Amino acid sequence: MKRDFDVIVIGSGVAGAIAAYRLAKLNARVLILEAGNHNPSRAQMVGGYATATLPKSLHSPYVQITSDKDAPSPDSSINYYDTPDGFVRFRSTYERRTGGATWHWLGHTPRMLRSDFKMKSTYAGGPDFPDGFVDWPISYDDLEPWYCEAEAEIGVAGSDAEWQNLFHSPRSKPFPMSMIWPSYSDRWIAGQINDKKFEGSVYRVLSTPSARNSTLYDGRPPCAGNSICVPLCPIGAKYDGAVHVAKAVEKGATLWEQTVVTRLEKDKDSSVHKVEFATYGDLNKKNRTASPVTAEMVIIAANAIETPKLLLISELANKSGKVGFYLMDHLSKSTYGKASEPLFPFRGPPSTSGIESFRDGEFRREYAGFRLSLNNDGWGRKGSPYADIVDLVTNERRIGMELQQALFDRIGRQLRLSCSVEVAPDPANRVELSTMKDALGVFRPKVTFAAPQYSLKGLAHATSTMKNMFEILGEKSPDLGEVGAFDGAGHIMGTCRMGDDASKSVVDANCCSHDHHNLFLLGAAVFPSCGSPNPTLTIAALALRGADHIAKHMGLKTMQVV
Amino acid sequence: MNDSKSIDTRSDLLKLLCEAAELEHGIACSYLYAGFSLKRDLAEGGMTWEQQQTVRRWASQIYFIASQEMLHLALVWNMTTAIGGTPYYLRPNFPQPSRYYPLHVPIELEPFGPRSLRRFILYEHPEKVAPQRKLKSLFALAGEDAEKIEFGSVGELYGLIKSGFNNIPEKNLFIGSRTQQMSSDLVHFPDLVKVVGKASAIAAIEEITHQGEGIAHDRENSHFGAFVAMLKELVHAKGRGFSPARPAMQNPAARLDASYGGKAKAIGNPVAAEVAGLFDSVYSLMLRMLAWSFEFDSAGVEDQLRKFCSVAIDLMPRVLLPLGEGLMLMPAGPKYPGKTAGPGFGLTRHVMLPPDAKNARQLCKERLEELASLGGTLLKEQLPDSVKNGCRHLQAIANAFLT
Repeated sequence: MKRDFDVIVIGSGVAGAIAAYRLAKLNARVLILEAGNHNPSRAQMVGGYATATLPKSLHSPYVQITSDKDAPSPDSSINYYDTPDGFVRFRSTYERRTGGATWHWLGHTPRMLRSDFKMKSTYAGGPDFPDGFVDWPISYDDLEPWYCEAEAEIGVAGSDAEWQNLFHSPRSKPFPMSMIWPSYSDRWIAGQINDKKFEGSVYRVLSTPSARNSTLYDGRPPCAGNSICVPLCPIGAKYDGAVHVAKAVEKGATLWEQTVVTRLEKDKDSSVHKVEFATYGDLNKKNRTASPVTAEMVIIAANAIETPKLLLISELANKSGKVGFYLMDHLSKSTYGKASEPLFPFRGPPSTSGIESFRDGEFRREYAGFRLSLNNDGWGRKGSPYADIVDLVTNERRIGMELQQALFDRIGRQLRLSCSVEVAPDPANRVELSTMKDALGVFRPKVTFAAPQYSLKGLAHATSTMKNMFEILGEKSPDLGEVGAFDGAGHIMGTCRMGDDASKSVVDANCCSHDHHNLFLLGAAVFPSCGSPNPTLTIAALALRGADHIAKHMGLKTMQVV
Repeated sequence: MNDSKSIDTRSDLLKLLCEAAELEHGIACSYLYAGFSLKRDLAEGGMTWEQQQTVRRWASQIYFIASQEMLHLALVWNMTTAIGGTPYYLRPNFPQPSRYYPLHVPIELEPFGPRSLRRFILYEHPEKVAPQRKLKSLFALAGEDAEKIEFGSVGELYGLIKSGFNNIPEKNLFIGSRTQQMSSDLVHFPDLVKVVGKASAIAAIEEITHQGEGIAHDRENSHFGAFVAMLKELVHAKGRGFSPARPAMQNPAARLDASYGGKAKAIGNPVAAEVAGLFDSVYSLMLRMLAWSFEFDSAGVEDQLRKFCSVAIDLMPRVLLPLGEGLMLMPAGPKYPGKTAGPGFGLTRHVMLPPDAKNARQLCKERLEELASLGGTLLKEQLPDSVKNGCRHLQAIANAFLT
């Protein structure tokens, strides 16, 4: 039977966009369905943000007017309408918009470590080791060539010397661009802290690999230090999923925006070809077929909340009963102090270096590993510099040159350190269908999340590590926040875990549903565990690997040599 | 030098490296001048909010490309010292007519616009891509005034340099001290690598040409590609009241003397001429500090060397950039109605800093003090905020150096 398309990709975030591009490049007839709105021009979004009175403004890549009703994106925890009693609302948000949440990501792209793929076989055995950990069905070595491919595809700047063989995780190719140059603050901190020991690990400041151009790359300009990577890069030096959406369209893919997939239908043979959708808004719909639309292959690349939601609505891919389970995020915490010398914050990208030393070690038998970020944004998240001016004028009665000097002294030395702590997979953390529906009649997600003890212990160690760092840097009384308090990292993972055993997992090692041979899930939903790195590079690597497998499955001539 | 476009003596190679240093240096100044001329504020007129985003992107790209030209200059200095030469930091004052270099393209200071962009494209055009005849004719570059064309592009010049490194036996060629080589651990300059042999010299040349003209399958991500894209965007945007550049004069000079080319013009506004003079003096000191750092063996004086490099690099964005941009907001003088001034990048005669580290430090200290004092005097005048910021930053940098 002739289908409308060869491949339908649901979701145009980084995973969907890259897969759509790769398949369109191989002459597959690709349709991308995006629930969110068409993007205004970058300049319009910059303008919308710059002239707004609210941090997350209309027209910036956050709240949107029409899709906020019809394809709601959670802009903060208050938008998670349905949370069980006794649980705090989930804190990490996502974006339904062409290009997805990469519009306002920071751009950090560290790889997962060798041990992150084999947590159970490496560290299981102790009484505090969570049962939810499993080994991935693929290893670091399996994914390594795809990491290289992903770094080239999205454009990653990094230091080969610093990142070669980190925790036995070798690199087979150099970064496509040399590193984003560390800030003055990074270099000063490195001078104070490098080679000192804490809790058995050695501090070492490393430049953070970033999908942010350090030179002209892929037709995009180098970073000009505009400092507003979040909410969006004004010049396109930072990668976002819209880059590959445009590339896919250029290669012949079709993009339908304001198109919310409402259900997938399976055939008698369990294959999935039929995609039902609803539209809203004012985009020109005249060239579209009516719902449903069909294809040989279907890729769901929404995110780790929308993907299981769609599967649960469609009653698909869930013979294991595991769809929606093992929701993960990273526990994030910011701490604040003043260094003994001026660091001159508020320049360049918000974070250019970090400390990777605590990501792995024997301690992971008992508590979670974590990354630490050195940030260049002073106490901006606490309202600086305006809050400092108000405080100095109203509470300390400083005016004139005295105020100027006090501001320089205070703001120049401000430092924020932050951590990103691994969350252990826990079946109690999950996405279900709410009884509530959105404007198009689609069920909303019901999200349950609580930090596992293993991760809270990791958070406590991360906090004491940051306290120790502040002491070395000259701050005796840093603001460490409330004990045990954390924020979301925006890294929504799990819920459709990958595995070899079809009774315990949702997709196989190639991201193909165990239950439907032509249904693929791409994105962080398939992560069985998450380590502590930012997930996007792993998402991109898995998307490239998955797209390659799909191409082979379809008999397309792939270009990969992997 | 023979006509076969191949180099086989140290002397010829050093001469070409001097030429490369002079060219990279001059081209970087030309780019910076165009960058300074791009408007920042909507109040300057001639652009919408959306166009302002494009203009600022162009500015950041031009500054980035200029910074890579500075990297190229530093790599050329490393190549030069590796084979026994000394870093060459001089160049003739602007403008240079088309017959000055075998490039047969003039090197001038002119504001951003189609003409300057076409000139930039000619500097960077790939060795194997012939520039359009029409483009060359824009600058009357028929070639009839040339007795012998040695190289037609910067890429071709580096091709000749590469042949020298390939032809001259390696063991005889690399006689410079390894501790004379500068890299990112001493100077805060991304991607600066040491040149210690043929392989690293060739790698440095390939980095330079790759960044400048790109490679056969990737021209887009090179200086050449960026300028071509910029010109396309500019031509497309023209005709809708779009005026991205300040009306800066061409080839300004703070104080015109015989060292300048015939087309140079003295700034007529005395205050602007003072600011342009301060710019030239800071620029000259910055160059001398960098050249000192690249010239002498770092052994034993690493801290001073780091300090010199750090101050020199600090002077670029914190003093030269605001002074340069600010000058383009100051009237050029009654002889140039409607025009604004600009920095002339004037290089005046001066000694190289001495080999003795203590004496070199003393000379820099005194000169920074003098220049900071001059900046302080200028602050009493009516000046654009940008110029005032540059003067204040100069005072802060001088104070930090003195303590």
